[in-house]
Amino acid sequence: MKRLDKNEELCIACHACEEVCSKAFFKESNLEKACLRIIEGEKVKIINCTQCGVCIDICPVEALSRGSNGVVRINKKDCVGCLMCVGFCPEEAFFQHDDHVEPFKCIACGLCVKACPTDAIFIKQ
Amino acid sequence: MNIENMKNSHKLLKKYDYKLGTIDKGYTNRTLYINLDNNTIKSKAVTEEMKEKFIGGKGFGLKLLWDAVKPTTKWDDPENQIVIASGPVGGITQYPGAGKSLVVSISPLTGIVIDSNVGGYFGPYLKFSGWDALEIQGKADKDVIIAIDGNTGNVRIEEAPLEAVDGHVLGEQLTEMYADSEKDKRHISVVTAGTAAEHTLIGLLNFTFYDIRRKVARLKQAGRGGIGTVFRNKNIKALVVKFSGVKSDLNNPHDIGLINRAGIRLHKEIRKFDDNQCRMRQVGTANIIEIMDEYDLLPTHNYKFGSHPDTYKIASNVFRDKYLTQDKPDGCWYGCSMSCAKAADKFELKTGKYKGDLVTVDGPEYETAAGVGANCGIFDPEYILENNFYCDTYGVDTISFGTLVAFVMECYENGIINKDITGGLELNFGNGEAAMELLHQMSRGEGFGKIAGQGVRRMKKIFVEKYGADPEFLHDIGMEQKGLEFSEYLPKESLAQQGGYGLTNKGPQHDEAWLIFMDMVNNQIPTFEDKAEALHYFPMFRTWFGLCGLCKLPWNDIVPESNISAKEPAKIPEHVQNYVDIFNGVTGRNIDKEELIVQSERVYNFQRIFNIRMGVGRRVHDAVPYRSVGPVTVEEYESRSERYDKQLIEDVGYNPEGKSTEEKIKVMREYREDQYEQLIDAVYKRRGWTMDGVPKVEKLKEIGMDLPQLIEVIKDLQ
Amino acid sequence: MIKVNNRNFDWQEGLTVTKLLELKKYTFPKLIVKINSELIYKEAYEKTLINDGDDVKVIHLLAGG
Repeated sequence: MKRLDKNEELCIACHACEEVCSKAFFKESNLEKACLRIIEGEKVKIINCTQCGVCIDICPVEALSRGSNGVVRINKKDCVGCLMCVGFCPEEAFFQHDDHVEPFKCIACGLCVKACPTDAIFIKQ
Repeated sequence: MNIENMKNSHKLLKKYDYKLGTIDKGYTNRTLYINLDNNTIKSKAVTEEMKEKFIGGKGFGLKLLWDAVKPTTKWDDPENQIVIASGPVGGITQYPGAGKSLVVSISPLTGIVIDSNVGGYFGPYLKFSGWDALEIQGKADKDVIIAIDGNTGNVRIEEAPLEAVDGHVLGEQLTEMYADSEKDKRHISVVTAGTAAEHTLIGLLNFTFYDIRRKVARLKQAGRGGIGTVFRNKNIKALVVKFSGVKSDLNNPHDIGLINRAGIRLHKEIRKFDDNQCRMRQVGTANIIEIMDEYDLLPTHNYKFGSHPDTYKIASNVFRDKYLTQDKPDGCWYGCSMSCAKAADKFELKTGKYKGDLVTVDGPEYETAAGVGANCGIFDPEYILENNFYCDTYGVDTISFGTLVAFVMECYENGIINKDITGGLELNFGNGEAAMELLHQMSRGEGFGKIAGQGVRRMKKIFVEKYGADPEFLHDIGMEQKGLEFSEYLPKESLAQQGGYGLTNKGPQHDEAWLIFMDMVNNQIPTFEDKAEALHYFPMFRTWFGLCGLCKLPWNDIVPESNISAKEPAKIPEHVQNYVDIFNGVTGRNIDKEELIVQSERVYNFQRIFNIRMGVGRRVHDAVPYRSVGPVTVEEYESRSERYDKQLIEDVGYNPEGKSTEEKIKVMREYREDQYEQLIDAVYKRRGWTMDGVPKVEKLKEIGMDLPQLIEVIKDLQ
Repeated sequence: MIKVNNRNFDWQEGLTVTKLLELKKYTFPKLIVKINSELIYKEAYEKTLINDGDDVKVIHLLAGG
């Protein structure tokens, strides 16, 4: 199963990953529109989707499904914007922004990995 | 029966095309009026005043019904209406419990307005199709279906001779007929009654939502007060609405962020806490079956007792472990993470005309398990499921059914009625087979089922007039008020809850106030004034859900962390603020929690005056049967004699030593009845009503509800 | 003697919150417990001792559909 993984100790909280993600997804540089989050603090925390699939069973309209590579994707056309996936994600890694009806999540595309200067995030197969 | 044949047999009586329009901050600003006498269909404008005074939902329903009927209108007169409305907040998907439809009509049981709050997709789809409410007046000559297509903008009245009447069959048939594909089925919602709604006064309406995982049209019920009976009397077979394209912003809300944030907060609370609080996601409202038993509140044997040694057989975990499919998104509207609409799949029916069929059965809800199960002394989970299924598909309210069967059983055991009268049915407490047969008779319109289906009030009259029963005894044990059967809590040991049942607008249904713990267990509201405050605040607060298109359950069946240190924990203040936020977020108005209560007060007082206009709604109508207040019989007194003797000493100042049980019952009764009268005084005062229960003109002025048509009704009663 | 929701209740040696809830058959899951106005969290029910003369509140939140 393809998914993003992390080594939080290496993270320097430069937020490059969030930036490249929001640019790829929403064509704008906005950390609140990234599919992963870097939380600064005494220890840096990286919030990312593990592709666990809890959201698939939560979704009332079956807008979420697992692809052949194991990645969970959202079908925006079927999504009704109920945000249950956002509330029920055990990692709290399903995100939404008020500019958009449909929430968004990591699809393990790896763009953020390329942007990370310290290898704090990486793609695991 | 082939769907194509059924469809081809439809005869179009009227087609009405309309412009789709837009929804502005929760309102479409128009309502749909249909008259089946002459197949008129028209659009009516919603005024700013209507939104200000009546908000929506039940408020709109009451206003439209008031304008449609006369003080003399009976339930089966053509001018009686069925009005179905969502509300301004209805149809949002982000906050749990936002898909309710509010249905009002003049009730065959009570002769006054009944209102019922029901899930399923109909209300939101109706609004997204362009209508804040649907009014149906008149009677069709032959069975009709009214179909609304909210994407193309048309309404059709069609004769529909071949479809079934029973809800679970008809729901499937019409979902199939109106959907273009399996995937399209989610865009259909159907309203049906059932065959027993034709032969009884306790008919209900089923509202469907298509369950895409189980691939079945699920049914939610507008149960109380016999609206299904009105529906079939109008020769309506079904209503169908079709709408595709649901999104969380279809209400064009003023501030979607407020709604999103509140929704996510609540989803998270449910995820974190539900397993350790109410387990709504596992068992739904049935979670309180065993709790009510523990606290002596589970009605058993027609409300004689509050617990039973066999309750463990119908405890919530029995349903969870053996019958209910787990881990399905069982919301009756999108975004309801509380997910209480549980279902048992592939349940094999043992009786009746669908015997042997494998069906999906509802829940059961707590009320159903307590009513048809415990209250009738039937502690059998499979009976409860089977009865629940048949009540739904036949279109019968499980609460009225449970309470009236319990009454019949007590009458049977007391020799008031016998086998000759019941046609051979041995209706002792605990006889599930006989109770099932009674239900099947209601469907067929036969035998004693037809008499029982008239409800407790009419049965009392029949038993007195035809079988010489003692009217006083029947009055004491017949658990109805205003003609409506009590719902399933034992209020005997909580004065506040006696008021919670007795001082309601539609009749004794706990949706206005459930105060038993606050009163009896917590001892938080000891004085009459305290109880009156609770009987002001909670009915007003809970009325508001019905104005907005909301469900009550997510308010207090999940409790946030902050509540433990809240000043008034019973109100769940954090959730009250959520409701203020989502209302303001949708409508762009700026209410606070105080204004929320005033919004309800306007409609609540309107409904009270509506009752008075129909000849009900005065103090005399707020009296309750003594079974709900205290022990009627020696058996009841002696089952709790320690408690009652202590109360006689401590509260009444009467020494029970050496007195007969009959004497003690008499003294207890005088005391408790007097307490209830004092409670009424305090509540009327708090609500701004006269001591006869009539809203005062000055109260109406204070809340901005001094409308001329209301003043006209009450001005001579001040 | 202690007070539970303003009503007298017999005190016994070693009475914890958990024990009191058992004795009172308070099985409802949504409770708020206070001893002499001090909030007791659920995790502490087992260990928290109730002293003779204490004023205990066991507030049941509302139930009922």
